Amino acid sequence: MLKYSLKRLGQSLITLFIIVTVVFLLMRLMPEEGYFGQAYEKLDEAQREAILAGMGLRDPIHIQLLNFYKSILSGDLGVSNIYRPKVPIAEILKSKIPYSLYFGLTAVAISLVFGVSLGILMARSKSKFWDKLGTCYIVFINAVPAAVYYLFIQLYLTGIFNVPMLFKADDPRTWILPAISMSLGGTASYAMWMRRYMVDELNKDYVKLARAKGLRNKAIMVKHVFRNAFVPMAQYLPSTILYTIAGSIYIESLYSIPGMGGLLVDVIQRQDNTVVQALVLIYSSIGIVGLFLGDILMALFDPRINLNKKGGAR
Amino acid sequence: MEESKVILSVNDLVVKFKLRGKILTAIREASLDLYEGESLAIVGESGSGKSVFTKTFMGLLDGNGWVDSGSIMFEGQDLAKYKTEDDWIKIRGKKIAMVFQDPMTSLNPLKTIGKQVQEAVELHQGLRKDEAKKAVLEILSDVGISDPERRYKQYPHEFSGGMRQRVVIAIAVACKPRILICDEPTTALDVTIQAQILNLLKSLKEKYNLTTIYITHDLGVVANVADRIAVMYAGDIIEIGKCEEVFYNPQHPYTWALLSSLPQLGVKGKPLNSIKGTPPNLFYEIKGDAFAPRNPKALKIDFVKKPPYFSVSPTHKAKTWLLDPRAPKVEPPESIAILRKQWGLNDNA
Repeated sequence: MLKYSLKRLGQSLITLFIIVTVVFLLMRLMPEEGYFGQAYEKLDEAQREAILAGMGLRDPIHIQLLNFYKSILSGDLGVSNIYRPKVPIAEILKSKIPYSLYFGLTAVAISLVFGVSLGILMARSKSKFWDKLGTCYIVFINAVPAAVYYLFIQLYLTGIFNVPMLFKADDPRTWILPAISMSLGGTASYAMWMRRYMVDELNKDYVKLARAKGLRNKAIMVKHVFRNAFVPMAQYLPSTILYTIAGSIYIESLYSIPGMGGLLVDVIQRQDNTVVQALVLIYSSIGIVGLFLGDILMALFDPRINLNKKGGAR
Repeated sequence: MEESKVILSVNDLVVKFKLRGKILTAIREASLDLYEGESLAIVGESGSGKSVFTKTFMGLLDGNGWVDSGSIMFEGQDLAKYKTEDDWIKIRGKKIAMVFQDPMTSLNPLKTIGKQVQEAVELHQGLRKDEAKKAVLEILSDVGISDPERRYKQYPHEFSGGMRQRVVIAIAVACKPRILICDEPTTALDVTIQAQILNLLKSLKEKYNLTTIYITHDLGVVANVADRIAVMYAGDIIEIGKCEEVFYNPQHPYTWALLSSLPQLGVKGKPLNSIKGTPPNLFYEIKGDAFAPRNPKALKIDFVKKPPYFSVSPTHKAKTWLLDPRAPKVEPPESIAILRKQWGLNDNA
């Protein structure tokens, strides 16, 4: 297990290194206006060159790359040029991430609890009332564009419960509806997968054997089926949780929450090269860390994943 | 055999299933007396109802199936009347246990085999952790798993097919049931392992005093393990008797046809015998003898009236009008005589 974890960790680090390098190289292809902001038009060629040289952008490429690694290792993400001129990127993120994290984590928690419960309920009453009701919900959530029901919730529920339409950090009532809206999609997909995996497991022979052995249905559900059905879902859990940092474009703009949602799109449109670079790095690291943790989690749950003996050959 | 007492008695059992809005009759008034300590083989082609028949003894029918009428008497109780889980819990595993066909899928892949056997032991013997573990280790070595201490902590994927079947058997005998039902216990195993598993089952039967029912379509298995044979066709037991009676002196045309299909009768260069036609559609009511449409020598009455049991000997009976005193003489096919000769030769040797 330890060996497997270390191996996966090594693989993740290599992937991360490659991504850092590729991101750096891609950013060199971006137009250089992105380093100047509004001052670009007013400067002449020589002044621009001087500023770029001052930023180290006229050094030989390998020196630049080395400096880039160094600053990343020391945790320095650089300074924004256009989005908020001269403000360190870390500072910008620090003010935004908590909002996204709060809403994201709450939404994940809600959808896990309700989605998994709904999935179990549906699997247990397969093709009966609860299953059909749940399927209606899942189809509705997947078929109707999220923006539509988000908007409905904002327009009508805020009216019914008499809460402000927009988010205010110091008004706790305004924290609730955005979190619930955000959880709806997750609830649907957890319910769908949970139902599917439960039904799969319920049809397996070991369930028959467990019944023949004299176990009660409840015990079979808890001790055998639920656990086995949850394993394939556990793999994606770390990624889902980590990605909440990225925020939700829809919800955050709808309720004007000052979170991370839409930041990447924003800075790409405004060509703030350094911020784009930092965000791409962060998001891809999240992806890699999420996959890594997911694999470790799977290996913990599923004894069949045991690569340290035969080097992956099965 | 004659003096042993009946442990399980099935009378005119009818089992139905609801499938796509239609009602299917899987078991049609089948009756069976199982004697204490015997080993009975139920043979028949796929879909003849062998598995369904035995599943009713443990309340393991799928959700869309039910016992329509008839009775299953066991220890003074009618199992056919059992409805709730609370009733069945007293039977399943404890009194009647089952070994399933496919050991590769019969075990939970995410639990150690020790835990899976222990579950059964704790459930029925009420032992505490340490004692239960001791009992499990004992059972594991009983079923021929060496180094049980180490194997206890291993997962199913670390076992071969034959070894897994041993674990499944261990689970079944863990609670010292009175009846052990083996649903095609060797079908999924390769031939060399089959004999080992059958020998294991035979020795466990002695050791734990089990009454065993084998469900199989492998007549080789039957000859190896069974005292008696019940031949099933279209949800009914059409012939039942001691092994040698059914093999040497078959009475029902279906039993003739089944035995004639044995590959050992094959002649090089000629196709093997097979039974023409298909089994009846169980969605429709079957009139008369279910095998009549596939029986080239069927009598007129076979299409009209279902035959009752006619006794051939005190232990051998068959449901065919051919045994009626008024019936015309119909000789069994030539292949039965050939078979008898083959076996006869073996007997002399």
